[in-house]
Amino acid sequence: MKIVNIAWRNVFRHTRRTIITAAAISVGLSSMIFMNTMMNGADKMASRNIIDFETSHMEIFAEGYYREEGVFPLDTIVENVAFVVDEVTKIAGVKEITRRVKFQASISDGIDELPVLGMGVDIENDNRIFRIRESVVAGTYLQGEGDVLIGENLASDMALDVGSYITIITKDRNGTYNAYDLTVTGIINTGHPLFDRNMAIIPITQAQDLLALGPGVTEICVLASDENRLEPLKARISQAIGNDYEVLTWKEMNAAIFEISGFKRAGQFMIALVVVIIAAVGIVNTMLMAVMERIPEIGTLKAMGFSNTGIVKMFIYEGGIIGIFGSLLGCLFGLLVSMYLVHVGLDFSSVFENMDIVYPMKFIIKGEIDYLNLLFVFLFGVFVSVVVSLWPVRRATRLEAVDALRHV
Amino acid sequence: MVEAIDLHKDYKIGKVLFPALRGIDIKIANGEFTAIAGPSGSGKTTLLNIIGCLDVPTKGKILIDGTNVNELGSKDKANLRKNKIGFVFQTFNLIPVLTAYENIEIPLILLDVEQGKRKQKIVELLEEVGLGEYIDRRPNEMSGGQQQRVAIARALVKEPSMVLADEPTANLDSTTAKEILALMQELNGKHGTTFIFSTHDQLVMDYSRRTVSLRDGKIVDDKTKPRGH
Repeated sequence: MKIVNIAWRNVFRHTRRTIITAAAISVGLSSMIFMNTMMNGADKMASRNIIDFETSHMEIFAEGYYREEGVFPLDTIVENVAFVVDEVTKIAGVKEITRRVKFQASISDGIDELPVLGMGVDIENDNRIFRIRESVVAGTYLQGEGDVLIGENLASDMALDVGSYITIITKDRNGTYNAYDLTVTGIINTGHPLFDRNMAIIPITQAQDLLALGPGVTEICVLASDENRLEPLKARISQAIGNDYEVLTWKEMNAAIFEISGFKRAGQFMIALVVVIIAAVGIVNTMLMAVMERIPEIGTLKAMGFSNTGIVKMFIYEGGIIGIFGSLLGCLFGLLVSMYLVHVGLDFSSVFENMDIVYPMKFIIKGEIDYLNLLFVFLFGVFVSVVVSLWPVRRATRLEAVDALRHV
Repeated sequence: MVEAIDLHKDYKIGKVLFPALRGIDIKIANGEFTAIAGPSGSGKTTLLNIIGCLDVPTKGKILIDGTNVNELGSKDKANLRKNKIGFVFQTFNLIPVLTAYENIEIPLILLDVEQGKRKQKIVELLEEVGLGEYIDRRPNEMSGGQQQRVAIARALVKEPSMVLADEPTANLDSTTAKEILALMQELNGKHGTTFIFSTHDQLVMDYSRRTVSLRDGKIVDDKTKPRGH
């Protein structure tokens, strides 16, 4: 308590040193918080996009389909749809269920032809799980057969508008080419690059016709009532429908994306570490200067009866006080910048517009604040400040009082 | 009571051994006002530092109130300094960021004196050294003489059994030096605190009752003036 008193005075009388050191800490910490907020936001948006447009919480495939998903193996589809839907609907924890058909196709306006991902959706049920209807920015959602929804980027690439006619061409499950004429009934902007650039969405019945699937579908999408308890639900579904089917959660299907995100976090950590090391060097430097210029003072204090422990304590308290001050400032500043990220976001459109990015999210990244991380960053800042004060102080205490006094 | 027995101190400068003290035997009784005189290099500062437990002798013993200081660990020495010894330095050595009041307060904080009592003592002592109005001044807002008064107040505030003053007037003009010496003499008389100075200043020797002269690390003279001088 008594030494804290003295340390407190020292910190606030050496104004310039305190401000410079605290500023170094706060810049380091606020950039850590900023990066964390952005990464969290990006991950959350990516997850939301995957769940809201692509996969829902989990999907049921015919056994073997998913391994070949890249080539859309129409010979391994869910044939007995009624059975699966019946069984799964009965399971507790299943909130909504819908069917989808995905296929490879190309669309043509008579002049240009572009490869797309075709998707047949259940007009009735799809919107209970997915948010495609909300993403229509021009025209309307699918009304019935003959309608197609396309993404905004695809529309502009092919100069299509609501009411334009296109032909969709694909091979059915027997290998025969098949085509339908369709009217663009709506244009969507989902924020998910796959949907906005490459997707043609048609009613599921028409897709089944086009591909000669009968009642079969490529996947059945399941929305859970509790998205934090997907594994037990998955187990219950698997058990109910048996080994002919494979159930995969959205996380399993997107493992690769979260692996990338893991790399990014490692990168983020490295950058943060470098920033913190720079800040730490700053603290060591100012503390070292503080110790050197105060060696006679240390001698005087020793003469007055300060023990070495007392001197060390005093400097640790000083480092700690500056650390708390700087960390508070850093957290506050980081929080402010994070709030901006949460409410306004950073617009990366111009950077990503023409890039083939696999990360499924909008180009305006909105932040997501992790308050636990904020607390961690604060404690980390204080910890680093205290630890790096130790080294300069050791030098001070190694001097005998008599040498410290003689030091001018 | 301070007693030095066959005190030796060697400094190593490079590879050369430099003897600063070569067998000092001295007794200083409680309440004495003693000057240790001698030219620079005679070993007076070294002697004071050893008496003040800031430095250790190469050989010999130093007894403070019967305790052999050599046998104390650094923590016990720090405690001894905290409780019994006040220092006054040639360069004043006030903590620059602290006010006069706060500088004097440090020894009391170290001794866990409670705040109200601290305030009372400090204000009283500042009045006594004639700096009642300078309570909130920082060292750089005071003259050398004023700073040394604060330093004396700081040394005395904990009521030590002795005050060690290393060339206390060397950085002061002669008028101020006289004032400081008169003040210390007055405080010595009033509080009965032992004062030991080192000096090469004739003025200081004039004020002291006992003058111990050092030369080349040995006592060459030890004179006590008769009372009433």
